[in-house]
Amino acid sequence: MALEAYASQSSDSIHTDVLSQARLACYKARDAFYACLEKESNKKPTESAYVGLLYPAECKKTREAYVNQCRPTWVKHFDRQYCAKKRVQRLLDDNESRRGV
Amino acid sequence: MPLARFLLSSLKNRSEESLHIYKRFVASERYYACCTRFGASKRFYSSSGRSTRNNTPSLQLPEQSVPPSPWRSFIIPGSVIAGIGGLVFFIHYNDEKRAIPKGQGAKFERSAIQGPIIGGPFSLINTEGQLVTEHNLLGNWILIYFGYTSSPDVGPAEVQKMAKSVEILESKQNLKILPIFVTIDPQRDTPAQLRAYLREFDSRIVGLTGSVTAVRQMAQEYRVFFKKVDEEGDDYLVDSSHNMYLINPNMEVVRCFGVEYSAEELTEAIIKEMKKTET
Repeated sequence: MALEAYASQSSDSIHTDVLSQARLACYKARDAFYACLEKESNKKPTESAYVGLLYPAECKKTREAYVNQCRPTWVKHFDRQYCAKKRVQRLLDDNESRRGV
Repeated sequence: MPLARFLLSSLKNRSEESLHIYKRFVASERYYACCTRFGASKRFYSSSGRSTRNNTPSLQLPEQSVPPSPWRSFIIPGSVIAGIGGLVFFIHYNDEKRAIPKGQGAKFERSAIQGPIIGGPFSLINTEGQLVTEHNLLGNWILIYFGYTSSPDVGPAEVQKMAKSVEILESKQNLKILPIFVTIDPQRDTPAQLRAYLREFDSRIVGLTGSVTAVRQMAQEYRVFFKKVDEEGDDYLVDSSHNMYLINPNMEVVRCFGVEYSAEELTEAIIKEMKKTET
């Protein structure tokens, strides 16, 4: 009984943007963007991305590619992860400079 | 010893005092009636009368008898304590009803399970559109993962781990285990979607989906946490406890593995569990 009810309401469309090819393309774009961020880390961040992440204007192109390739919720998720990682790194680095104070 | 007696008498006096204050709002006839009811002697009446006049806690004579109707002063605190006791009992009963019993279950013979008993009956639909219940899966070792196809990074990593583990088990150890992927996002993961998704990892992985209530019931039985987060229009992520459950041929959950296990560690642990029951 549940089987027929389920089959009648489910469509046959497949979200292809979560299959492996799309995923790999998304990961590549994401890595390219973050690499750009690392490279230009000495420039002043002017543009703002999601969840408070700032990035310099030089990386705008990679940002566009990244946002186009991946789903918006994924972009937010990865940005949040990146911010957290940066924060932890900053915390660890800071500790060393303040040793002995 | 005299100290104890002093404390005892002052306690009696205080209860007597509260009793008198209470009685002031009630007709005084009742008070006298109580006295006579308990066969108050003259000394008894006079001693109570004395404290009404004084209204200060004074040292009573050690042989003071019991004040009139002592049980009345215990009604209010007694009922409060009974209420608290009832509440405690109710909470305890509720906890026991919701608790997961450890290990024993219905069979008291040699059971392989040391941990909490989770799992239960379910009925879901696989990627071919057929109904699958727990009866279809009896007799196999099973590795279950609750995930969804739109997961950004953890989901694919976990499914990859599962696929690799099954691969190692079959090629190196020649042990058959059935991997199952149950989607906790049945609204977006149709059977066709699951088929396309899982085909890229391993053809052996069975994908299960169903109606929202069926999936929720199974997740409840397996104590899997999942929640929609990050809603953005039509799109959302599902936050979940990424756990893999290892199930023995009797459909009992033997172990659960978290994200921290690599494929090799997972394989080692599975081999250990399977060998344990075969000996």
